[in-house]
Amino acid sequence: MMGIYIFIFFAYLFGPLIIMSITAFNSAEFPSITPWECFSFRWFNEGKIAYDGQHLAGLLSDWRLHDGIISSLIIGAGVVTLSVPIGMAAAIVLTQVRSQLRDIYYSISIMPVLFPGVIIGISTVVLWDRIAGLGGEGFIADIGRNGIFLTILAQTCFISTYCFLIFVARLQRFDQTQEEAALDLGASQTQVFFKILVPYLSPAIASAAVIAFLFSFENYNTTVFSILSDQTLTTVIASKVRLGISPALSALALTIIALTIIAAVTYEVLRRRAEKRYAESQEKFVKEKAADNRINKKYKVGFKIPKGITAILLIVVFVTYGATQIVKNDLYGQSCIDAADKEKKSKFLEQLQTLESNELTDEELSGGSLGGNQDYGDIFGDPSLFQDFGGFD
Amino acid sequence: MSADVELSDVSVTFGSFYAAKNVNVKVNGGEFFSFLGPSGCGKTTLLRAISGFQEPSEGKVLIDNKDMSGIGPNKRPTALIFQNLALFPLMSVSENIAFSLEVRGVSKEERKKRADELLELIALEGQGDKKVHQLSGGQKQRVAIARALAVEPKVLLLDEPLSALDLKLRQRMRTELREIQKRVNITFIYITHDQGEALTMSDRIAVMNEGELEQIGKCDEVYNNPLTPFVATFVGENNPLYGKVTGIEGDKAKIETADGQYLATMNESKKLNIGDESIAFVRPESLFIPRDSDNFDNKIDVNIESFEFEGNLKNFYASLKSGAKIKFSVPNAIDTSSITSGSSIVLGFESSKSVILPKASLAID
Amino acid sequence: MNNFLFTQPFFKKNGKAVAIYFLVAIIFWFVFLVIIPQFYMLDLSFRTNVPPLARGGPEDYYTFEHYSHFIFGSKTATDAFNFVDLGVFGRTIFVSMLVTIANLLFCYPIAFYIAKIANPSTARLLIVSLIIPFWINELLRSFALRILFANEGVINNFLTGVGILDQGILFITYDIGLYTGLIYAYILLMMFPLYNAIESLDINQIEAAKDLGSSSFRTHWRIVIPHAKPGIVSGCTMVFMLTVGALATPVVLSSPNTLWFPQLIYQWFNMNDNWSRGSAYSIILLIVSVIFVLTMMRIFKVRIGEIIK
Repeated sequence: MMGIYIFIFFAYLFGPLIIMSITAFNSAEFPSITPWECFSFRWFNEGKIAYDGQHLAGLLSDWRLHDGIISSLIIGAGVVTLSVPIGMAAAIVLTQVRSQLRDIYYSISIMPVLFPGVIIGISTVVLWDRIAGLGGEGFIADIGRNGIFLTILAQTCFISTYCFLIFVARLQRFDQTQEEAALDLGASQTQVFFKILVPYLSPAIASAAVIAFLFSFENYNTTVFSILSDQTLTTVIASKVRLGISPALSALALTIIALTIIAAVTYEVLRRRAEKRYAESQEKFVKEKAADNRINKKYKVGFKIPKGITAILLIVVFVTYGATQIVKNDLYGQSCIDAADKEKKSKFLEQLQTLESNELTDEELSGGSLGGNQDYGDIFGDPSLFQDFGGFD
Repeated sequence: MSADVELSDVSVTFGSFYAAKNVNVKVNGGEFFSFLGPSGCGKTTLLRAISGFQEPSEGKVLIDNKDMSGIGPNKRPTALIFQNLALFPLMSVSENIAFSLEVRGVSKEERKKRADELLELIALEGQGDKKVHQLSGGQKQRVAIARALAVEPKVLLLDEPLSALDLKLRQRMRTELREIQKRVNITFIYITHDQGEALTMSDRIAVMNEGELEQIGKCDEVYNNPLTPFVATFVGENNPLYGKVTGIEGDKAKIETADGQYLATMNESKKLNIGDESIAFVRPESLFIPRDSDNFDNKIDVNIESFEFEGNLKNFYASLKSGAKIKFSVPNAIDTSSITSGSSIVLGFESSKSVILPKASLAID
Repeated sequence: MNNFLFTQPFFKKNGKAVAIYFLVAIIFWFVFLVIIPQFYMLDLSFRTNVPPLARGGPEDYYTFEHYSHFIFGSKTATDAFNFVDLGVFGRTIFVSMLVTIANLLFCYPIAFYIAKIANPSTARLLIVSLIIPFWINELLRSFALRILFANEGVINNFLTGVGILDQGILFITYDIGLYTGLIYAYILLMMFPLYNAIESLDINQIEAAKDLGSSSFRTHWRIVIPHAKPGIVSGCTMVFMLTVGALATPVVLSSPNTLWFPQLIYQWFNMNDNWSRGSAYSIILLIVSVIFVLTMMRIFKVRIGEIIK
């Protein structure tokens, strides 16, 4: 029972992502699996010019995406440099405020994450627009209307809280007598900070930096307001999705998923290695101390097949099956793509002629029972739809 | 180099609470001095006042006759060993020991040299590169001492550093501490609630209760001549005999209790008058089962209730006529097999081994 | 800095340089990033919408018009109330509550399984698997669902291709895609507080309850859930707040005919260039959020520190 439920739950979590990843390799203009056109990497590379003349950029050729990534990186770096020191300062000061004030101080510190993201974006923009308006034409007016600067400020507002929480968690386990010991040994307060507190907090600094960067990189709700006329990765994605969904986005998503998994696995491996090293040093120490052999006895080392293997096998079977199908039906490579494109282009021209002869109005083309403008892209992206147009005769 | 430490009328208050009240004490240079008292008696507060973590609310701390007020802990010639040792877990043993030199900007080679010297002093040669968590409890203790000594302090302050160790190790560390103190020849101020620890290591001790000093003196002096009922019962064990003074002869006073009259010695500074409510104290080891030839000036009828075997001693718990309880100990070398629960016997004790004091609360109350 | 604020004198405790860094960082954050922008937005929400040049002029005065617009609609409207905006608002809150409850129900069994039943290595594997989707952009996760739910999407293609249906289901038009996406978006923010809360429960308590003859349901009701209460409150608060304020998921998945409240704010702000009204609607959203948090704290008697850790 529980097993089935867990399976469904994880299928819900991962299924959409897996299907999306697969669609990245289908050469069709609309991300899909079942009308499988050709296996190709085109969405990772140059994209394509569609049969209707529309240019569908792939990952490598999409300059808007590249610009977006660059400004996202700049913003991420800015947010990290601001929010990590702010979070650290606020967390350390939390340990020093009087207990009567601690609740209030803590509440103010965590307030920003309780604000809806849109509000933080809006409030930053309206304030800085006003400041820019007051400042005349100079430097202040420039930065007050600079989307990247405003986004850094707006994101810092709430990302500092996440950093703050990370530092608070670490500081709760800090033994304050260490500070006193250092003072007693002649260190100045500044030396205590840099030689005792900062080294102790360094793991928290690292994780706060990573968290701050990731939160900044994937933020949309705040950024969409504060970025003004600039673009970040997320706003580019959002505007692309609104225009119509393209497999290039699947390719982008798959790239991000792959990077995430690599990062997660690396982190896990490093962590386990560190843990193992610590455990070994402890064990060695215990062995050194205990001369008798009770502790030294060898633990049984058995080889156990991990349960995960079934999942891996299942994936292998599926991938092999899919690959053989693709190869058998010759659904890969340039020749396949060319053939498909040619066919579609001819069909398209044919239909265009039919449409012209029928003098179909724009309204019918884009509206009708298929919904409003958001589905516009779907219509154009979908080849099978055009086959149905024959019914208008 | 050692220094005198003087507390002059020191009080420390937290709100309306007196953690220490009008403490006057002078610790001589090179002395091993202990503050002894139950937890919460203010001894740690005093130590923090000496080390500079706590400014006294009133009074002065003088080290080497210099007033220390306004001087922070990092500027005082003292070094403190914390109860939990407070070793820096992210640094190696050598880095820990040389930390005080590092913050003073001493060169790396110099630091290494000094750390090695100190490692030798604490018999941990060649273990400087270990991390703190790789050391045993006793080794950590010694590293903490070495770290404190690296500054060459004039006064070493120790805040119950042995309390986390097991019994055997604690006993060994007592001797070791004493030896280190003799070797480096600086003033040690030690804080403990364990009277055994205080008595074995110290030159002099100060007994504290509820923020106030009860008595200062050499170990045997405090043990044999307690000034207050608190000291009498906190330092070692003591049987209280409550009563009224009925007569005085020289330095002896006669006390009338519900179970009879006893003669006890008065303290010079705590003279009593006839009619005063008072307590005579007699220690378990000063109560004897008289042999025929013995002639004690006090006799006491008891009824044995139970006994326990402690190894070198056998402890008997007995009750008096009035219901008061009394404990006495007999060396195991003496045959006491005839005395069992229920037997009634007579005990004797010398008036010179019994102290009489004005009535006040005991440590066990 | 005096002893009124701090346990120890601030400059003496931290050293001058570090103390100044602390003060500058905290004041910059609290005052310039948190407090002033919010108050300025509040101020703006009570002002007329005028172009920047006319600010401070006779056209720029205090008014309740944006708030009254939210409730009664524009002055020229014929309806007594602004049913469109109020409808969006009510639907957003109602659906957010349902999403929160659905998340709680979905997550509880998994959280309990990972925390108390699974062996440590399985548990760790499951936790890592839970975290991975969380690090993928909310927009892209919604996009994945969009591929599934589009009118010519994977599900419909499959269903019509296999022959179960003649015509695809309009998942997007009926907002099925949106609701699925909203549940999907923040499910992990329910999972982790729940997991942490259940994890801290001593397994002996569960066993003791079973030993005393308690049914499995009763054990959960009387032992596990009361213990996990702070986690439940925390998860519910986080999920509700994020769902109410969601913009990315609705942008990708909502049908063209319906709006999510933050989308409405976005429209006033970016498309209609009415910043004052956008601010007023933001304030309304903010008030809802604050009321929700305070209500949760009051009902379940938890402190704010327990909600966000």
